[in-house]
Amino acid sequence: MLIPTGNTDSIKTTSWKVVLPFYGYASIAFFVATILLLFSVSDITAHYFQPHNLALTHIMALGWGTMIILGASHQLVPVLIEGRLYSNKLAFASFILAGSGIPLLTYSFYVFDTGHPALCGGWLVILALISYLLNLAVSMTKSKHENIHAVFVFTAALWLLVTATVGLLLLYNFTYILLPESSLRYLPLHAHMGIVGWFLLMVMGVGSRLIPMFLISEYHNKTQLWWIYGLINGGLLAFVFIFLYANNHSLLIIPLLAVTSAIILFCIFCSSSYRQRIRKKVDEQMKISLLSVLMMLPPVILLAIIILLLVASPKENIRLVTAYGFIIFFGWVTAIILGMTFKTLPFIVWNKVYHQLAGKGKTPNPKDLFSNTVFKWMCIVYVMGIALFTTGIFFKTSIILPLAAALLLVASVLYNWNVIKLLLHKPVAL
Amino acid sequence: MNNVITNNNLQCAVALAALQNISDPEIGLNIVDLGLIYQIDFDETSQNIFCRMTLTTQFCPMGESITHAAEEILKDCFPDYKIIITLTFDPHWNQERISVEGKQFLNYC
Repeated sequence: MLIPTGNTDSIKTTSWKVVLPFYGYASIAFFVATILLLFSVSDITAHYFQPHNLALTHIMALGWGTMIILGASHQLVPVLIEGRLYSNKLAFASFILAGSGIPLLTYSFYVFDTGHPALCGGWLVILALISYLLNLAVSMTKSKHENIHAVFVFTAALWLLVTATVGLLLLYNFTYILLPESSLRYLPLHAHMGIVGWFLLMVMGVGSRLIPMFLISEYHNKTQLWWIYGLINGGLLAFVFIFLYANNHSLLIIPLLAVTSAIILFCIFCSSSYRQRIRKKVDEQMKISLLSVLMMLPPVILLAIIILLLVASPKENIRLVTAYGFIIFFGWVTAIILGMTFKTLPFIVWNKVYHQLAGKGKTPNPKDLFSNTVFKWMCIVYVMGIALFTTGIFFKTSIILPLAAALLLVASVLYNWNVIKLLLHKPVAL
Repeated sequence: MNNVITNNNLQCAVALAALQNISDPEIGLNIVDLGLIYQIDFDETSQNIFCRMTLTTQFCPMGESITHAAEEILKDCFPDYKIIITLTFDPHWNQERISVEGKQFLNYC
């Protein structure tokens, strides 16, 4: 296939106008979440089913994690499927819908009003996800290339839609009794469909393409990836079935083993890619992304302990559950985003600002568009904050938790500083 | 750069040297040693330069900028010629296309 470059449609990537708003929105959401964390420290150590905790979880899961993944995936899906994104308008619609639904939902949780604002927020998020899924489905259908990474992404998006639908059902269940039991009972189902089905599957699908690509690795193993895909989806479906139909905590070991095996296989995949890389020098952004792969393991260990304790005694260990949720959203999800933002955003901005100047003289490198010193400080402060906060949850220390939350707030300020620097970048002649 | 097909004249060498000024911004290696240039031919009769090249991945976010830069740099070097750049993904780029110098740059050897 030969493509004359006069017609660049065949390699045209998604417009920055679609992608950048998602990044901007997500970075503000991260900042808001860390402020909320600082002012809700006392709630964190109480039961997780608290208005402030629910608000915080939804800002982190939707405003931060999901918005940035949606934005980045609009840029990365064409790379994964080797085809164009079907519609920029649908992508923009998903931004507007999710962007207006998330604050409504979060505010409603914060004041614990499960009436119309919350329901409206929930519906807007669902419509956003339908737009995203439709865009993805048509793009994949139009692409002539079949590939496993796109299957991961599409399945992850389906799980997200199911998660959001279950979430909306739980909201309705507060007012109209639709389910046999209270909404609290179904919370683990809603949470794990989102964590495993959406975040884990998405991260593995995209990571299995990007990690070898950025490392220029010679390692490829499609069979291993299909095993990971099967284990995660099989494990999650088993969890849903056991949760709904078998009232036996010991059976939860089955999905746990399936998902743990998938995570171990993914770690092996990343480690093999790393060992067989051609590019020896690994940059800071890639290091933190690789670190986040290892950060998948602590929540799994915590979950195993939670399940074993549940088998021994039906009473839930609240601290362990809180630490588990915290490590997932502030630890694993956030570490991936902190690393990958500065691996993707500088290129999007560079394309926006310097595309027409390419080949006409010296232009700055995409990596020079943000401050690497600020990035390093952000990483140091972030790792300290995560370690201290997790310790604080376990030991319920009144001094450690606010200090750790303040460190995470500083990390979010530093992150925003670099994101703003990138978003406002103007052409510089060298 | 020994894996580029050329009609072996001095002009091709100049063109390739010029293209070596364009680097893949992510990898930091120039596009010739990275193996993105498949073929360069000069047609003296029609005054055309044909450059057949690829990208590390189709829909690479930097793809348009890289091809645009290649066109501009060749235009700058050979103002009397018409530059015709053709992108191909057959065969797909792979790591084996990286030159020995490129691999040394990436600290492979």
